Amino acid sequence: MNWDWDKLSEQRQRNTGSKTPGVDEINSTIKKFRGTGLPGGKYVIIGIIVLWFLSGVYIVEPDEVGVVTRFGKYVATTNPGPHYHLPVPIESVMKPQVTRIRRVEVGFRSFGSSRSFTQGQSRNVPEESLMLTGDENIVDVQFIVQYQIKDPVEYLFKVTNQDKTLQDAAEAAMREIIGKTKIELALTTGKLQIQTETRALLQSIVDSYELGVNVLAVQLQNVHPPAEVVEAFKDVASAREDKSRYINEAEAYRNDILPKARGQAAVILNKAEAYKETKVRKAEGQAKRFMAVYREYTKAKDVTVKRLYLETMENILSNPDVTKVILSDSAAKRALPFLSLDGGSFPVKSVTNKKGVK
Amino acid sequence: MSLLKKSSAPLAILLIFLVLGVAQSAFIVKQTEKAIVLQLGKPKAGPLGPGLHFKLPFVQNVIYFDSRLLEYDARPAEILTKDKKNMVVDNYSKWRITDPLQFYRTVTSIPRAQARLDDIIYAELRVALGGYTLIEIISSDRTSIMTEVTQKSNELVSAYGIEINDVRIKRTDLPPENARAIYGRMRAERERMAKQYRSQGSEASARITAQADKERAITLADANLKAEILRGEGDGIATKTYADSFGKAPEFYEFKKSLEAYEKGFKDNTRIILSQDNPFLKYMK
Repeated sequence: MNWDWDKLSEQRQRNTGSKTPGVDEINSTIKKFRGTGLPGGKYVIIGIIVLWFLSGVYIVEPDEVGVVTRFGKYVATTNPGPHYHLPVPIESVMKPQVTRIRRVEVGFRSFGSSRSFTQGQSRNVPEESLMLTGDENIVDVQFIVQYQIKDPVEYLFKVTNQDKTLQDAAEAAMREIIGKTKIELALTTGKLQIQTETRALLQSIVDSYELGVNVLAVQLQNVHPPAEVVEAFKDVASAREDKSRYINEAEAYRNDILPKARGQAAVILNKAEAYKETKVRKAEGQAKRFMAVYREYTKAKDVTVKRLYLETMENILSNPDVTKVILSDSAAKRALPFLSLDGGSFPVKSVTNKKGVK
Repeated sequence: MSLLKKSSAPLAILLIFLVLGVAQSAFIVKQTEKAIVLQLGKPKAGPLGPGLHFKLPFVQNVIYFDSRLLEYDARPAEILTKDKKNMVVDNYSKWRITDPLQFYRTVTSIPRAQARLDDIIYAELRVALGGYTLIEIISSDRTSIMTEVTQKSNELVSAYGIEINDVRIKRTDLPPENARAIYGRMRAERERMAKQYRSQGSEASARITAQADKERAITLADANLKAEILRGEGDGIATKTYADSFGKAPEFYEFKKSLEAYEKGFKDNTRIILSQDNPFLKYMK
C-alpha cells in the first residue's frame, strides 16, 4: 500500500511537474488513509523519505561530466567523483562521456567495432563517397571524422540529432573541399591538405551550430577513381612503368653492346699491331738472311751461282710428282701441239740459265 | 485516534485539491524548450525560458516549443544549371524557432514549418543554382550560393518566427547519363596519358639504342682506321727494309728469287719438258 501510494504520487509529480508535497502532508495523508496505522508505520514512511533524498547521490565516472538541471533548467556542471543533487523531480543529472572519441564514417560502414579501416571488413556506400572534383571529374572518397564533446552543455541542449548533424556537416564540408581540388591532387599529394582544410571547415560549421564538439581529425581512408574508370587509371600507372621499363631495356642494350664494341676494337687493333710487327720482323729477317748469303756469294760468285742453280734443279726434279720429258730441240718443237693435256694444266717451262748470273 | 479519524475525510479531500492545484499551476520548461502560456486560447505570457513556472489552473494552458537548432533535410532535387546541365542537389538546412508566439500563430507545429521551409528553400535554391554553371556550383561559388540562399530564405521565413542558420549543399551529383559522359571523358584522358607515357618511353628507348649503335659503329671504325694505319706502317717499314737490303745486290737478288720461285712453282703434277741443250743436261750428251 505504502509503496503504491508513494509511486503514484511520484509518478504524478513527474507527469505534472507539481511540487512535492511536504513531508508532514505525506505523513498525515498516509495516516488518514491507513486509519489506525500499524505500529512502526511512521518509521517506514520516514525511511522512504530518507531513501528518496538519498536517491540524489550520483557518481560521475572519470570519462564523464555531470550536467545538473533544476526543474529542467541547466544549473551546474560537475566533475568526476561523487556528488549530490536534489532528488527527482526537483533536480536531475545527465552524464555525457566527454573524453570518449566518437567517430563518423562517410562513404563506407565498417562492420563490428574494428578501429582500423580494412577493405574486407567494410561496405561501401557509393552515394556518399562519389564526389565531383574541381576539374569536373568524379572521385571516390571514404573518410572518417573523429570528434569529442567540447562543451557538454551545448552538446546536450543546443542542437537536435547531434550525430546526424555532424555527419551531414562532414559530408558537406568534404564535398566543398573536394569541389575545389583537382582530381590529380586528390589522388596523389593533396590528401593531407584536403584533410586539414576539411577539418577546419567542419569545425567552423559545427561551431556556427553551437554543437559543442571539437573535431579532432578528418582522415581520408581511401581516395580512388570510381570503379567505372579504375582500369584506365591503373593503365596509366602501368604505362608509367612501361616507360621506365623501355628506358631500362635500352640502357641495358647500350651497356651490353658498348663494352663488346670496345672489346672488338681492341681485337682489331691488336691484330693490326701483330700484323705490323710480324711484317717488319719478317722483312728484317729476310733481309738479314739475304745479306748473309750475299756476303758469301761475293766471295765466290761463280761457284755459288752454279751450286744454287743445281741445288734448285735437284730439288725440283727429285720430286716424284713431277713428270720429266726430255726431247731434242727439234722434236720438242714438233711434238708440243700433240701432247695430251691430262691434268688440265700444261705448263711448258724451259729452265734456262739466267743470263748475267754467272 | 478518534479525533484523527473524524478529521481525516475533509483533510484528505483538501489534500487532493491541493495536489491537483499544484499540478495544474506549476509547470517545468526544459533547457531545450521555450514555452508560451495561453489563456482560453489567447497568448498570455511568453516566451518562457527553462525552469519552473506557474500559471492559473484550468484557464491557462502551456505550449512548448523546441528551442534547439532543428534540422530540415530536403529530398534530393534535380535542377538545371546555367550551362543547361542537369544535376541532383541534396541539401539540408539548420533552423530554429526564434519567436514561439509568431510561430504558433502562423505554422503551429514543426512538421508544418518543415513543409513551409521545403517550399521556400527549394524554390530559392533552384533560382540561385540556375544562375551558375555546373563547375561554378561545384567549386568556385558554392559558399556564396549557400549564403545567398540562406539570406533570401530568411527574409521569407521570418514571418513565421523562424530563423534559418544555414542552407548547405550536402551532395551535388550528376544524373546517370551525365556521370557516364564524365566517366567517358576521364577514361579518354587517362588513355591519352597512358599513350603519352608509352610513346615517351619508346622515344627515349630509341634515342638510347640509336646513340649506343652509333657509338659502337664509331668505336669499330676508329679501331679499323688505327688498324689500317698500323698495317700500313708495317708494310712501309717492311718495304723499306727489303729495298735497303736487296737494293745493294739487285742482280743476285733476282737470281736467287727466281730459283726460289722455280722451286715453289714446279712442285706437284708438273710436266717438265727439257730439251737436250738445256744447260742442266749438258753432261747427258
